[in-house]
This record gives sequence, C-alpha cells and structure tokens, in this order.
Amino acid sequence: MSEADDKNRYNLASRRKTFLGLDKEQALKGLFGGNALVSIVVLALITFFLFREGIGFFGQYRDSLKLYRSSGLEYVEIMNEQSAAFSGLTRYLNSIREDQTQLLKEQGLAFREIKKVQARDNDFFYGFEDLGYPLREYVLEKKELAIASRNAYEEMENLKVFRSNLLAEGRTEEAAAVSIVELDLSATVDQIRSGREEFLALNDTIEKELEALLAEAPTFEAASLNAKVERLGELTRMFIAEMEEYENRLLEWDSTQSIGMGRAFVLFLFGEKWVTNSSIQDWYGLWPLFSGSLLVAIIAMFLAVPLGIGAAIYVNQVAGPREQNFIKPYIEFISAIPSVVIGFFGIAVFGQFIRNASNWEALAWLDVFPLAERLNAFTAGCLLALMAVPTIFTLAEDAINNVPKAFKEASLAMGATRWQTTVRIIVPTSLSGIISAVLLGFGRVIGETMVVLLCAGNRIAIPDFTEGLGVFFEPVHTMTGIIAQELGEVVHGSIHYRALFMVGMALFIISLLINYVAQKIVIKYQISRG
Amino acid sequence: MSLVADKITLNRPKQSTDSMDSDSSEQARPLIRVSDFDFFYGDKQALFDVNMEMMENEVTAFIGPSGCGKSTLLRCINRMNDLVDVARIGRGTIEVSGANIYDPQVDTIELRKRVGMVFQKSNPFPKSIYENVVYGLRIQGINRKSTLDEAVERCLKGAALWEEVRDRLDTSGLSLSGGQQQRLCIARALAVEPDILLMDEPCSALDPVATAKVEELIHSLKDNYTIVIVTHNMQQAARVSDRTAFFYLGKLIEMGQTEQIFMSPNNEQTEAYISGRFG
Ligand SMILES: Nc1ncnc2c1ncn2[C@@H]1O[C@H](COP(=O)(O)OP(=O)(O)OP(=O)(O)O)[C@@H](O)[C@H]1O
Ligand SMILES: [Mg+2]
Repeated sequence: MSEADDKNRYNLASRRKTFLGLDKEQALKGLFGGNALVSIVVLALITFFLFREGIGFFGQYRDSLKLYRSSGLEYVEIMNEQSAAFSGLTRYLNSIREDQTQLLKEQGLAFREIKKVQARDNDFFYGFEDLGYPLREYVLEKKELAIASRNAYEEMENLKVFRSNLLAEGRTEEAAAVSIVELDLSATVDQIRSGREEFLALNDTIEKELEALLAEAPTFEAASLNAKVERLGELTRMFIAEMEEYENRLLEWDSTQSIGMGRAFVLFLFGEKWVTNSSIQDWYGLWPLFSGSLLVAIIAMFLAVPLGIGAAIYVNQVAGPREQNFIKPYIEFISAIPSVVIGFFGIAVFGQFIRNASNWEALAWLDVFPLAERLNAFTAGCLLALMAVPTIFTLAEDAINNVPKAFKEASLAMGATRWQTTVRIIVPTSLSGIISAVLLGFGRVIGETMVVLLCAGNRIAIPDFTEGLGVFFEPVHTMTGIIAQELGEVVHGSIHYRALFMVGMALFIISLLINYVAQKIVIKYQISRG
Repeated sequence: MSLVADKITLNRPKQSTDSMDSDSSEQARPLIRVSDFDFFYGDKQALFDVNMEMMENEVTAFIGPSGCGKSTLLRCINRMNDLVDVARIGRGTIEVSGANIYDPQVDTIELRKRVGMVFQKSNPFPKSIYENVVYGLRIQGINRKSTLDEAVERCLKGAALWEEVRDRLDTSGLSLSGGQQQRLCIARALAVEPDILLMDEPCSALDPVATAKVEELIHSLKDNYTIVIVTHNMQQAARVSDRTAFFYLGKLIEMGQTEQIFMSPNNEQTEAYISGRFG
C-alpha cells in the first residue's frame, strides 16, 4: 500500500459541499432558524405598529377633552343631563297614560270615549310635560352656541396647521393670504354662563310647579295606575333633590381647569360611553365594549367548557375506537367552518329560533322571556361556544391522553370502576392541561370577530347586570366587533382611528395574558409529572 | 452470584425450605387453576392450551423468553386483558378458589379487589404517599381517618417502606426513588387486602439493592398472600419462588418445584433456556 493511499484513507478533512459559504447542515439550520425568527419579528412588528398607531390616542383625546371644557360644552352638558332627567320623568308619565288607555280599551271603551275619560286629567299630564319645554329650549340654545364656537375654534386650528405647512414648504405669499381670526373661547364661555340666573329661575319655576302638580295628582280606579302615580311622585321628588346637585356642579365648573394625560387614560379604560360622530363630544370608553366581550365570552365558556371537556373525557375514556374515529374528526371539523358562515347561521336560523322559543308557553316561567331582540349576547355566546368547543376538546383530549396509561391500569387493577378512575386519577392528573385548554378556548372566544359582529346585536351599552337573567339577552357590542365595524370608515390618523387601535391593543394584551397564563400552567403540569 | 443473592437465599424462612423438602403439593391447596386455556389477540393466538395450578401461600414464578405470553396469562388472572379491545378467550377457564372468573356473573371490580397487581414499571399516582396507599380504600368509600391511618401504617410496614417514609407521608409518591416507588405500589396493592398478588417483572427497573429489598418483601408476604411473579431473572426465580412455570411460544412447557426445574428439568427446552442457551 502506497503512502498516498494511506493518507487518503485517513483523510478526515471535511469534503462537504458548500453553498454561499454554508454547508448543507448550516443551510438547513439557517432555513429553519429563519422561519422561527420571522415569526418573532412579525410579532414584534405587530406590537410596534399597534403601539405606534395607538399611543398617540391619549394626547389627542386629552386635547379633545380640553376643548370640550374650554368651549363650555361640558357646562352645557351638565344642564343637558338635567333636561334629559326630566325627559325621563315625562316618559314615565306618558306610560301611565298608555296603561290607562290599554285598561279602558280592555273594558270595551271606544277611542273617543277613552279620550273623554282622560280629558279629566289633561291639566296634570299636559302641565307636567310642558314644564320641560322651556328648559329644553334654553339648553338647546346654549348648546348651539357652544358647538358653534367649538367648531370655529377647530376651523381656526386647522387653518393654523395649513398655514404652517405652507410656510414649511416655503410658500410664504400664500401663507400670508390665509386669514385667521383669533378666537377667544372664554368669551363664549362667559356668554353661556351669563345665563345662569335665567337657568336658576327656570329651575325654581319647575320645582314649584312640580310640587303644585303633585299635590293634586289624579287618582284612578285601577290600583296599578295609582301605584304608578305614586312612583311618579317618588321619582319627581328625587329629581327635585337632584336639581340642586346640577346647580352646584354648574357653579363649581371651571373652564380653565386643566385635564391631564391620566384623565384621558382613565376615561378610555373605564369610560362608560363609546360615542362617535357626535355633534357635541365623542367619547371613547372601553368599558361597554369590554363588558360586552366579557359577557359574550362568559356565556360561551359556560356552554363550551362542560361540552368540550365532557366530550374529551367521553372520547378518551369511554368511547370505543370506532366511536372515537367518528366523533373526533367531527368535532374538529367544526373549527373548519368559516366564522362568517356560523354568523350567518346565527342571524338566519339560530337567532330567530331563540326568539321563537322564547314565546313558547313552556318557557313562560322565565321572566326574561319573551325576548324583544333576536340578536343578543346569548345568541352570539351560543355560537361562540360552538367555535370554542373544538379548541377545548382537542387540547383537553390531548391532556387526558397524556396521562400515562399506567395510572389508569393501576387504578383499575385496584378494583376501581372506570368512572372512579376518570374522576380520581385521570382528571386530576390532566387538570392543568385541561385548565390551559379552557384558557385558550377563552382566548379564542374573546378574539373572535365575525360571529359577534353579526350576532351580538351591536348595541354599545354596558350590560345591565341588575337585570338578573335578562342581562344575557341584551344586545351588546364587543371590542373585536367595533374594530371590524368602524375601522374601515374612520379618517386615517384621526382620534377615532387611534382609539380603535387602542382597543386592538387592549385585546392584544388580554390575549397575551391568557396565553401566558396557559403556558405557565402547562409548564407547571409538566414538572409535576416529573 | 452477588452477595445480595446469597444473603437472600440464606434469609429464606425456614419453614418454606422445609415444606419444599417434604412433598408440599400434598399440603398446599391450589388457589388458582387454569384449565385448557386458549387466548387470542385478534387472530393471533397468544396462549395455547395452558393447564396449571398455583398454590395458596406460595410464590409461583413464570419464566420464558420475551413474547411467550407470561404477561398475557398473568393479566388474565385479574381480567386486566378485558381492557384490550382485541383480546378474547378461545377456550378454557381460569378458576380462583373454585370460581370461574370468566363467568358472566363475575364482577371484575370484586375480582380485582381480591387479585391485586404490581406492574413492571412502578406507577404511583401523582398524589401524596398517603393518598397512594389509601386509594384502594377511598374508592370503596372508606374515608374514616383512623381506618386510613391504620391502613397506611400497616401496608407501608408490610411493604418494608414505613421506616423510610414515615416522616414524609405528605410528599408526592413520585418523589421517591425507583425502588421505593415499587414498594409503594406494593403497599398500595396490599391496602385492599387481596388474597393474590400478581407481579409482572416488579424488579426489572430496579438496582440490585432495591431488588433485594423487594425480593425480601416477597418472601415475607408469602405467609399471607399467594404470589405470582413474572421474571426474566433466573436467579430471582430461583431465589423467591416455590414453583416455576416455563413458557415458550404461548405454551406451558414445564412446571414444577423450583428446585426441580432448575436442578433437573425434564424438558430439554427448559434446560436450554435455564442454562442460557436461548431466550
Ligand atoms: N395488547 C396486545 N395486542 C396484541 N397483541 C399483544 C398484546 N399484548 C401482547 N401481545 C402479543 O402477545 C404475545 C405475548 O405477549 P406477552 O406480553 O404476554 O409476552 P411476555 O411473555 O410478557 O413478554 P415479555 O417477557 O417481553 O414481557 C406477544 O407475541 C405479543 O406480541
Ligand atoms: Mg411481559
């Protein structure tokens, strides 16, 4: 054997082909590492853009709130509230009339006869209602004043921006041609406030007249009507007491009081109003949307958790292989249905069915039935439950499946029944996996858009939890729904646009939190299995 | 063999050696009787015409090469094979103290309370040591603290684990060493007070010291329990068992007093296997 041969045989130097200076292994590593990197970068970019678009919101919102105050709109709004409270009273007043009409109709009276009977109390009813008009007129007048000055101020601001843009581009002549009338908002505020005496006088009259009217409130034959009149008296006296509060608030109000960033933040996070495109003032409060999302999610989880976990336990522990092969793909198939189809089904079939069902005699004992709204939190919740079941089922089934077979065998070999084994061994052992399945199902439900947009009823209001069961059947709006609905129509960069980004941000943080907790639980679970 | 093994042999209770010297089959009463037993997994036959008896208060060892059906037969004795979907009995019966356990009227739950099982891989539940031991009682609805406490002490002592864990009954059963875990499993099986203990290679995952402890334990349990043990370790079979059954390809080839099987097997396959020429 020659020396060269020998050398060849023991030549261990790398003979791997290289490409761009990488051999095959490095290239593969780069490829897969690159994929992982891309997903991290995308997540970072999403976070970054959400922040960038959203964060300007607080500044803009504060400016808007400042203008709301300095233009006197806030002052007008206090008076408006009082006027609205009075309107509430008149609505109750009118409901008494309506009830009476109904009763008389049932007694077989004709329309004209009813009118005749009611004519007796016209002084009371019309007198009551008429009391509100001067107040409303007064408020309206002041409101128009404030709005006009606010709009003029905004116009002026816009012109200023326009001019400075021109200047920045070097078009000085054109810039000089832009005429700007400096506007002093405090003048308007003074003007609005100067009417204070008049307002107080109005209030005084209302108070006196109301008391006089109540003193000779009509009585009826029907006890139910008398009870309502009684209640009207209570409400009215409450209103009279409140009038003083409104007056005090007006007195304390100060147009120059500053508004901090914190106030804007609090008003966003805990604000109870989400009002856009309002002529008076836009409000961007997350609370009604958040509570709507939460309500729908709670309903969905209430249904999906027992169904998903129950099905997982059944399939894994009870069902034979044939049943398993049948049930598993079917449940998993649900997640393949496009959510818009589910939403469509919700509107066309399910919502209608719920409302029809609410009219059934058999369900009449439920005091929330029959339902007025076809689309409400319950409709959306049921459909979301349908979408969450596959997530919960699949993950919970995985967790249960991960319980070592040896545990099950040991338990059965001790003479435990199948059920005992499931309850005492299988479920506790896979509990953390099941909990994280539930959390991820919750994340799915909170983040779902199409179904809630189509089926939740889209009324922006905090669900009234004092309603008892009825709260589940109120139409609500959701965080996801509002973004999908409004983002297409808003002006890029406007405060509304940024507000929607902030809602997205909140959603994103909630989802991250849920996922984080779920992962923490899973990790703990793996350790405990050792 | 190792010192440990010698020690075990020496430690053997006197009376069992005596009983082996005398003709024990006359005194011993058969507790488990397998007759003409054929067993299938789907179409594949795993046991062929097995006939054997296991005596009360004796240790019977199953030996044989891998896949010969030792575990299958063992799991038939407490009907754990019912859990295998494709498993079915072709022919024959298994009787435990005279009752056919495959009779449709037999309640497997009751059967398994009487015929306990210890598995090859120790499998304590992910619960505390205490809860592991009392599991069998809790599922029977026994929750009286004093009863449970008493059972824990009795079973852990019975499984020779009491001294090692008495101060930490609340810690997880999974925190014990492999040998301790296996003894915990034995304690757990003892809690329901079975008559018969089936052990499927209980020491295969243990080191020699832990193995010695479990073997010692098997010895001491023999007075109160009837034990059937599957093992791949010839020395172990020789050390712990009174009788040995040799299986090959699903058939019971030879069964007899352990000493006879190891010293003078009648069948040449048995001899080949014992002397390590195959398997
Ligand atoms: N669940 C099952 N399904 C189908 N066939 C099985 C099943 N369990 C065991 N078998 C088959 O039955 C035969 C006997 O298996 P068994 O587990 O009883 O052997 P063994 O003697 O215990 O082997 P080892 O010593 O390796 O544990 C083997 O051929 C095996 O493939
Ligand atoms: Mg085996």
